[in-house]
Amino acid sequence: MTEPFLVVNDLHRSFNDYKAVNGVSFTINKGEIFGLLGPNGAGKTTTIRMLSTVLPPDRGDIVIGGYSVRNNTDSIRRLIGVCPQELALYADLSAFDNLMFFGRMEGLSSQEARAQAMSNLEFVGLTDRAKKGRVDKFSGGMKRRVNLAIALMGNPQLLFLDEPTVGIDPQSRNNIYETIEMLRDRGMTILYTTHYMEEADRLCNRIAIMDAGIIIALDTPYNLKSKLGPPEKVNLEDVFLNMTGRSLRD
Amino acid sequence: MISGKMMRILVVALMEVRSYLRDKADLAFSILLPVAIFALMYGAFSGQDQFNGTLHLVNEDKEGIYSTRLITQLESISSLTIDYLSPSDADAKLEKSDLLMVVSIPPDFSSKIISGQTAELIFKQRGNGGQEGQVVASIVRGVAGNIDRELVIQNEVKNNLADTDISREQIQIAVASFIEQEQIAPSVSVIDEVVGEDLNPVTSFLPGIMTMFVLFAVSLTAQALVAERKKGTLERLLTTRLSVGQLFTGKFLANTSRGMVQMIILLALAQIVFRIFTPLTFLQSLVIALVFTAAVSTIGLIIGSIARTEDQASWIAVFFTMFMSIVGGTFFAIPQGSVLETISKVSLNTYANNAFRTIIMRSGTIRDISFELLVIAGVIVVGMILSRVLFQAVLKGK
Ligand SMILES: Nc1ncnc2c1ncn2[C@@H]1O[C@H](COP(=O)(O)OP(=O)(O)OP(=O)(O)O)[C@@H](O)[C@H]1O
Ligand SMILES: [Mg+2]
Repeated sequence: MTEPFLVVNDLHRSFNDYKAVNGVSFTINKGEIFGLLGPNGAGKTTTIRMLSTVLPPDRGDIVIGGYSVRNNTDSIRRLIGVCPQELALYADLSAFDNLMFFGRMEGLSSQEARAQAMSNLEFVGLTDRAKKGRVDKFSGGMKRRVNLAIALMGNPQLLFLDEPTVGIDPQSRNNIYETIEMLRDRGMTILYTTHYMEEADRLCNRIAIMDAGIIIALDTPYNLKSKLGPPEKVNLEDVFLNMTGRSLRD
Repeated sequence: MISGKMMRILVVALMEVRSYLRDKADLAFSILLPVAIFALMYGAFSGQDQFNGTLHLVNEDKEGIYSTRLITQLESISSLTIDYLSPSDADAKLEKSDLLMVVSIPPDFSSKIISGQTAELIFKQRGNGGQEGQVVASIVRGVAGNIDRELVIQNEVKNNLADTDISREQIQIAVASFIEQEQIAPSVSVIDEVVGEDLNPVTSFLPGIMTMFVLFAVSLTAQALVAERKKGTLERLLTTRLSVGQLFTGKFLANTSRGMVQMIILLALAQIVFRIFTPLTFLQSLVIALVFTAAVSTIGLIIGSIARTEDQASWIAVFFTMFMSIVGGTFFAIPQGSVLETISKVSLNTYANNAFRTIIMRSGTIRDISFELLVIAGVIVVGMILSRVLFQAVLKGK
């Protein structure tokens, strides 16, 4: 559990003059679920976009599985799966066709893609809707599940889940939450951002709290809570409030 | 075996083609609209063909050698169709004004000529015989006049040589062959000279209309690219093993195929309706079409890379299309040596239209249009590189 699979070192990124990410460093070990928590605009998505090779950092380095984003994005892309915060689906295709297409792009043969698409859709509980209807006719929760299932295509070793449970009904949220637990049990390495503290508390091995482009705390949920009092009586919400003076969900 | 890279390019291209096929409005726009324009052109220009008339003929001298000769010559005239009537039919139709002009060969036509009398052709007409009737009559007069002249010469020569021991048959054969020679190499001949280009409005405007319609696809390509970028699917694709180069090559292939389908439909329609191609010029036109559509598809990718919104993409594309079409001589011929001609050199359509016109109107060959093809091919190469570079630059800033 201590072998670092992802190493982020002094990451910076500005948009125009605004420093969205301002010197972020952390590591994620193999098989670990790493939580990135922070209020809106903290820089979580910007960080994930840099980790997933689509946004070049202004400064700093990212090494995943031994490959640097500076010169080896191709190798990194084979290792990662990305579930973006905004739904990124082909609205007029079925769930199955969406997975097929991304699977082919991950380099799977058509048979491999078909097999993985079916098993991933089963994994997120969408087998009966796989080929039924375009995804834009799906409910919000179902779209989220398709969004997650796509990220699993190509059997990535590292998953980036950017608020996979945001804005959906409790039932779908539960479903996704359980899916992530199953992935954890399979030993998947995951970087996870969320607004839901109890999810992060239950799922994550370690948590980084990010605010205004920097990480202000990084530890296990237990240790983070211990600083405020007995961990059984404190929740992460309190920790966050204590550190930033703000509530996480403002 | 197809490599993974090629496979991804093909899957992207296929995906793009499928999305075109799903969008019924786009499909209708890119195929039905040009067909409608064609229908309009057909209506406007189809009446302006060469003269074609029908000769309504009554032949009562069925076995006669001179009537047969007259009819053979008339039948060899391509702009004349002969409609044979019985005398009673002809009279009835003239009576009812179904026909305005009938030419009649009387039963004694040949026998009168043989006996040296004046034979008559009878032109029966209602009123002035109608315009078509007048032209047909004058054609018949010309042919009859030729036969008459031949007979006059025959008789003249026969009379002059009557005292010699040359047989009348020999004289006849010699004179006939002389007249035949004269027809092949006449002393006074008429040369049909086409000044400048073929002025057929169909062939001169067809290239412009075709290129303009293919160019409309720029807007669709650009909008689709922006839409995908905004939806986030493009960024997501780039976290897979698909590279920007592969993505653009796939889209390029799909757009070029769509343009080619459009072009093939237009060219085939042009051929069916207007018959303006030979098999060779058709093939050559396909080559121009392929190069042009490929260039157009890279331009769509460039606009899609730099536009921020779909609306912006479609406005840039519309402006671009109209500018290229107007300056490229789609709606009017660009006067040679004018300022406009200089400006027209910046339009891709100018080169495509010139190439098409060279092939269709001046029966040129691929060699004659190699300059135009090279210019357009240059646009493809520059467009492929530029669209990629611009796309990546924009992506990195976001
Ligand atoms: N493409 C962009 N152009 C300009 N500014 C941007 C861009 N992307 C992000 N920002 C800005 O950078 C800051 C960090 O944004 P980011 O999306 O990374 O935050 P986040 O932590 O993911 O927030 P949320 O919880 O709302 O998803 C924000 O202030 C945002 O407005
Ligand atoms: Mg975010």
